[in-house]
Amino acid sequence: MAEDFDIQVLKNGMVLLGEPMEAVESVAFGFMMPAGAARLPDGCCGAGSVIADWIFRGAGDKDSRQLSDAIDGLGLVRGRSVGSSHIAVGAALEAGNLAEALDLYADIILKPSLDDDQFELARQLAIHEVLSLDDDPRHKVMLKLREQFYPSPLGRSTVGDIAELKALTAQLSGQIIKDKFNLSQTIFSVAGKYDFDAVCQQIERLFESESKEGGESVTLGPRQGKYTHIDNDGAQVHIALMTETVKPTDEDYYNSRVAISVLSGGMSARLFTEVREKRGLCYAIGARYHGLKEAAGIMCYAGTTPDKAQETLDCVIDEFNRLGEGISREEIDRAKVGLKSSLILQSESSSSRAGAIGSDHYILGRVRSLDEIKDRIEATSVDSVLAFLRNNPFSDFTVVTIGPKQVNIQ
Amino acid sequence: MEFKSEKLENGLDIIGEINKSAKSTAVGFFVKTGSRDETEQINGVSHFLEHMLFKGTEKLSALEVNEAFDRTGAQFNAFTSEENTVYYAAVLPEYLAEVTELWTQLMRPALRDEDFNLEKNVIKEEIAMYKDLPSFDVMERCRTLHFDGHPCGNSVLGSEESIDNLSAEQMREYFARRYAPNNIVLACAGNFDWDRIRSLAANSCSAWQQQTVERKLDHSEGSRKKQRQEKANLAREHICLMSAGVPAQDPRRFAASLLGMIVGDDVGSRFFWELVDKALAEAASMQFGAMDGTGAFCSYIRCGSDNVTKVLDIVRGIFDDLTRSGVTEDELTKAKNKILSALVIKNELPMGRLVDLGFNWTYLQKYQTIEDDVNAIKAVTVDDVHFLIEQFRPGDFTQLSLGPLRNS
Repeated sequence: MAEDFDIQVLKNGMVLLGEPMEAVESVAFGFMMPAGAARLPDGCCGAGSVIADWIFRGAGDKDSRQLSDAIDGLGLVRGRSVGSSHIAVGAALEAGNLAEALDLYADIILKPSLDDDQFELARQLAIHEVLSLDDDPRHKVMLKLREQFYPSPLGRSTVGDIAELKALTAQLSGQIIKDKFNLSQTIFSVAGKYDFDAVCQQIERLFESESKEGGESVTLGPRQGKYTHIDNDGAQVHIALMTETVKPTDEDYYNSRVAISVLSGGMSARLFTEVREKRGLCYAIGARYHGLKEAAGIMCYAGTTPDKAQETLDCVIDEFNRLGEGISREEIDRAKVGLKSSLILQSESSSSRAGAIGSDHYILGRVRSLDEIKDRIEATSVDSVLAFLRNNPFSDFTVVTIGPKQVNIQ
Repeated sequence: MEFKSEKLENGLDIIGEINKSAKSTAVGFFVKTGSRDETEQINGVSHFLEHMLFKGTEKLSALEVNEAFDRTGAQFNAFTSEENTVYYAAVLPEYLAEVTELWTQLMRPALRDEDFNLEKNVIKEEIAMYKDLPSFDVMERCRTLHFDGHPCGNSVLGSEESIDNLSAEQMREYFARRYAPNNIVLACAGNFDWDRIRSLAANSCSAWQQQTVERKLDHSEGSRKKQRQEKANLAREHICLMSAGVPAQDPRRFAASLLGMIVGDDVGSRFFWELVDKALAEAASMQFGAMDGTGAFCSYIRCGSDNVTKVLDIVRGIFDDLTRSGVTEDELTKAKNKILSALVIKNELPMGRLVDLGFNWTYLQKYQTIEDDVNAIKAVTVDDVHFLIEQFRPGDFTQLSLGPLRNS
């Protein structure tokens, strides 16, 4: 499968990436601004959520309502997220409306109105979202897990902290936008049906500016506690755990991905088979790779009723530890075909591709072709995965539980 | 795109939409059965049965089934609703025949006692999981209150009690009645060889016995009752509103979906501007759901306890205004644009296309191209929407609120 990527770097450093897709009539685009939760000043946890809302409340010559109407008028399926490293905004749409959509997004990013009244509403909503997490323990436990696992501030909550949101001001948030929406560090990606030359000319006209210093590296603090429990009189104990693994830039990255897939790739994988199928301990059980540029881990979730919580946790940790003791050829083959297949299935979606090429460029400094990824997966073997596990044993687990009962950590 | 269909002598429908430019294929068995087809004694059996199909056949154990799927790299799963149980897989074209063959075998499961007893634990864990998700819990409780005895109010998961009391024998009896070939559609979408799949299905499924399958199809206007229920560990107020709508077979379903979007899309809707934009509620959405012989509009709103009265006043105001002044041409155009692009983008993936293809056949026994749906949406007028509002009075809703204990 021959693939072409389009790439252009503007004079100010902003990177434009494109992946043409023949079989679609849609196009998806995204802007990644280096204003994610870990890059915010201390004491501003949640400012990312507020900002991601605030910039849509009026931009250019349009007020909040006119802007929203214009976006809806083009039929944009909107996407917006706050991650550890970036605030990402974008959309999927019918290809014919791309130019008009990019004009709107240039205003949102470069000329947001940033009215004080609108700030207050965005801040209130962000506070409500944090309060709502108490009614969504499964989501809350994973946020808390990232916070505890990653060296501070990498795991800082992307939703926010109540006290810090209450203290957040429009002036400070405005300053963050000014400092962090740094075009020299911004990545634009587009995938689907588009004309790259036309897109580049338009983006250049809209976004060309003086290049700017910045991209200061994040200073990492220590990891947080080993075990955290949050009491909640719910029906289940929500167990989240994470242990360190190699980063996406590491040469063992694909061995790690295959190992995790043996553990929790499909329904025949170890965790599902041992925890759910053989013991009936859980409905929801799974582990996946979670990688940032600076650190990575294997993230696992299990939800179970209180009496089974200890057995579930013990069983999960046993499965992690047992992995290095031996893996069959069939398990490796299933893991590899599962990873390759999901890669191809995702490659049919313009939104997935726009997100993937942007994230590749940020983390690796280049875009990987599907062929490269397939070849690297194919090159792994029982021996290479076991050697990787021997050299990188699972030594420490960060555990968070939410529910009516605590667990004991060995 | 090319459409193919065939009905086997035993009534099994096999349909396919071929798209040679797709990189993958999706296949699914659409069984027309769900919680509305259950009695109180066996409530939860449709969903439990969905789990049991993965436990294998006389020849295959559960682990062998999972291994067989995973060897193909398929993304496979199943879901159960009030009226459908759907088994699906998205897969690379070279593995489609293998995966389809596997599904045809699983559709005649062993339903072993020991698997049934072990899986009960998993089902009860799933029930517990949803209890900890009030946004789901409130909808389920409201559905029961709204349908008030009509079978569409039956819980999909069942209760811990109904699952405890269910026997494997009752499940086998239900299976024999409901998984008849004349109550099932086998659908394929994407890049595949029709003749191969058709003959494979004919070979594997022709021996299945036809049955008389029935379903009660009364329309429900809904109870319009209002209730508040409490749970001590909740932080926010979760509010669900339901009102009657048109059935899946009714051409007005497109107008109903557009009305749902005008009132309650996540962004840019009336709920959004009056509640979310003003930070009175952090979530407020309304959707139309078409069902067999009936339909319902369903809204979900989440807010702090201090805002509940204000939020409900505003909601009443929105519906009053809708009744009085209707919707504008501009609102309708925006809703159409949003629905149309979401439809086109979803249908670019074989898995997205499979769902529409299978359900259209299940409800209409008819092939609808994407263009048919696009044209039907484009053709909806403001008057069509007004007629719906007049007839179904969405402001006259059933309401269930689930929130923390109130200070007495």
